[in-house]
Amino acid sequence: MTPVLDRRTFLKGLGVVTVAAACGGAATPSPTATTAVATATAAPTAAPVTGTISVYSALNESTNNEFFKAFNVAYPNVKVEVLPLAAAGELQTRIRTEKASPKADIFIGGSSEFHDPLGKEGLLEAYVAPNAKDIDAKFKEATGLWTGWYTGIFGFISNDTRIAEVPKAPATWDDLLDPKWAGKLVLPSPITTGGGYIFMATQIFRFNKDEDKAIAFMKSLHANIAQYVPTSPGALTLIDQGQFVGCPNWAHDILTEKGKGNKVTLTIPSDTGFEVGAISIVKGTKNLPAAQALVNWSITKEAGDLNVKLSNRGSTRADVAPAAGAPKLTDVKLVAYDRQWATDNKDRLIAKWRTAVGL
Amino acid sequence: MRSLQREPGLLLALLAVVSLVAIFIVYPQLRVIATPGSGYIAFLTGGTWQRALLNSLEVMALSTTSAVILGFIFAYAMVYTDMPWKPFFRLVGILPLLSPPFVVAAAYVILFGPRGVITYGIFGQTISVFGLGGIWGVQTIAFFPFAYQLIADVLSRSDARLEQAARNLGAGPWQVFRTVTLPLTRPGLGAAILTTAIYVLEDFGNPALIGGTFIVLPTQAYGLISGFGDLPGATAVSTLLLALALVLYLTKIRLDGGRSFVTVSGRASSMPRPPVPVKLKWACFAACLALSILILTVYGSLLVSALTLNFPTVMTPTLQHFQYITTGTNGTALQNTLMFGLAAAAISAAFALLAGWLVQRVAFTGARVLDFLLIMPAAIPGLFFGIGYATAFNEPWLDWLGRGYLIIIAMIFWNIPIGYQAAVAGLRQIDRTMDEAATSLGASSLRGFRDILLPMLSGSLRVGFVTTFVRAVTTLSVVIFLFTPGSTVATIRIYQLVNDLNFGGATAFTVADIAMAIGALVIVGLIARGRTALIGRAAAAQVALVPPLGDTAGRSPLAR
Repeated sequence: MTPVLDRRTFLKGLGVVTVAAACGGAATPSPTATTAVATATAAPTAAPVTGTISVYSALNESTNNEFFKAFNVAYPNVKVEVLPLAAAGELQTRIRTEKASPKADIFIGGSSEFHDPLGKEGLLEAYVAPNAKDIDAKFKEATGLWTGWYTGIFGFISNDTRIAEVPKAPATWDDLLDPKWAGKLVLPSPITTGGGYIFMATQIFRFNKDEDKAIAFMKSLHANIAQYVPTSPGALTLIDQGQFVGCPNWAHDILTEKGKGNKVTLTIPSDTGFEVGAISIVKGTKNLPAAQALVNWSITKEAGDLNVKLSNRGSTRADVAPAAGAPKLTDVKLVAYDRQWATDNKDRLIAKWRTAVGL
Repeated sequence: MRSLQREPGLLLALLAVVSLVAIFIVYPQLRVIATPGSGYIAFLTGGTWQRALLNSLEVMALSTTSAVILGFIFAYAMVYTDMPWKPFFRLVGILPLLSPPFVVAAAYVILFGPRGVITYGIFGQTISVFGLGGIWGVQTIAFFPFAYQLIADVLSRSDARLEQAARNLGAGPWQVFRTVTLPLTRPGLGAAILTTAIYVLEDFGNPALIGGTFIVLPTQAYGLISGFGDLPGATAVSTLLLALALVLYLTKIRLDGGRSFVTVSGRASSMPRPPVPVKLKWACFAACLALSILILTVYGSLLVSALTLNFPTVMTPTLQHFQYITTGTNGTALQNTLMFGLAAAAISAAFALLAGWLVQRVAFTGARVLDFLLIMPAAIPGLFFGIGYATAFNEPWLDWLGRGYLIIIAMIFWNIPIGYQAAVAGLRQIDRTMDEAATSLGASSLRGFRDILLPMLSGSLRVGFVTTFVRAVTTLSVVIFLFTPGSTVATIRIYQLVNDLNFGGATAFTVADIAMAIGALVIVGLIARGRTALIGRAAAAQVALVPPLGDTAGRSPLAR
């Protein structure tokens, strides 16, 4: 290869990348193409909101697409760039490492446990949305650092063809200690998933905050667990395939898997826990009006209904009906879940659990 | 010897290389190492790392041993026997090197899990792939090609004349192998073992998916970030990992250096090797075939999954997954993957060549330090290379630089060791008198480099280019903390689709990604005309980071 040719390829490479970057920016569908059908609840009262917002989303892909399309119907002049990672912890870490020059305007999805510490570290922008008046105080942070917009209940998925190998789907969490479950049970990792941690915290509240009893339970359970799966949805796949018999997991995701035709069943053991899915504005956002518009829109009845339809989750609004077959927070037996305590003690409790089970 | 004072152009080139290395290799890593600060004490006394460390060492010992044994059998069969189907085996032996992580491990679960298509569906067995046993098995298959490429390289350089001589003196095949072949290849084998060990040590995808309750250092680091948001703890784990990898790496370089006395000349002798017994030949063939069938089953299942609705339950043929991955954001991701890979590969190979020339041919203080820094990225886990960039270059005044460029820069410098080692090896084959003739005739040394050496080093350039490209399009860990919506790449989309339970889409992406890597190998191979030779060399360079061009006389300056 001659030096000239080499230089040429070098420059060509650079040029191509420049073009690609430029195309990448223009390739996203123009928001003006969508028709403006703003509903009464969502219509902005002030000047029209415009510009681009970057959204870090821990929601499922299909939910992302439809949800932000609907937002664009209400706010046609805002371009939403979504960075999807169905792992709230990674998005949380990204927001931390980017704090010198934030790249996200909005952090959406993932239980409030992932948003709250960021708020305490001063990385979130407080905003009490007008529509937050319709949200119960237990579903939102008082100063508006984060706002809860959906709820999820922790249930149990079992594989229909293999359930006969064990006594029965659990009516209480203690049923899972039966030695017949040994090697047939998986659990989303309490270290890497919000669900796994909420499961563990639920046990602590079940024993009235007697940590030692709860850790002893987790240690006995450990003997039956074949795998702590690094992501919650990854655990569902294993049950769909029948690799294992059952797994504590999110009721709404279990319903979605069932809806796809997988032979699985959802049960809700008594004394279960739940999550509040949050949305928050990242401090240093370059488009505060649009970010606030998205927060306010996400807690409308319209957005709540849509999310229930897309993801089978519940809504923090009392006037949104749950999806068919989905449990209601008021119908299941819940532990007295002290969310703030669970959030504040997360690191300590996980360390304690790890020491107990030797991970 | 050139004098820097007399040649300002040379001084400028050197300053440019040194400052780029300082900015893009040293600085981000210092930021990573400095992140824990006082957290190191908490980390060390916390003690959760001890279990992960022991697990890591245990699995490293097991997987490296089995991968090296398999790799040795494969390499021995390829180099020593005249068994049939060699081109086929050569191709299959490269396949695991070209694949992005995650999806392959998921395929193992589908095929060999407690209800695996093969283990349960065909044999009715409910063995579990989860835990230590699973990691061991999967890593053996994943990393044997690394050992194979390295050992084949070493074996093919052992001098056939010595073996023929031993046979003529009455030694049996086994005796020759034990007393001639093995001692001759021992240093090379040692280097192969240590290199494979580094790869096993840093493997994240396999332990994450099938590790079960068995936690190793990379999965622990990831868990700390992902679950705790504990960046200090994770970077402390990373520093530990880096230290371990560096120890292995430095030991390896020592062994590489010692290789110079192994054979008399760098060129493979034209004399044929003594024939191996027929029984041994067919035993080798059977072993290679069995291994190839296993690999093809795993990769074949990916292809089947990409072409069916919902593998393995709904087997209706469909092209919808490929339509899906070529439209919208996914199309952009594929396009980005190609562009980023090409740009990174071209720049990395060219820069590495220049750096290699400076270190090898220009005398200056600190050459050994620069040499060390240029190979150091090989010992840095990709996740922390990415985190280093995310921490170091996320400053408001740098916001004009698109993230795509940052990703390209990260890929360039993470892969520098490959192009650099290829350049160093190439340079050692060219006698100093060649470019010195030019300089004594009055040319500047930069001009000597450009007009005399560069044309002769096109081989090194190609190896650096192709290997960097393959690594760039298959890495997830380097980009996961750097990508933005507009600069997403195939591996990121694969990771997202696996999390989203869209296995069909994820496997289609994987197939496209592997095809891209194979395409690069083939095209550059055709340009180079010596097709298979280059593919083998590029693969060896990828796995080895050792001089891939038949260099035997030289040593790394570190080992001097």
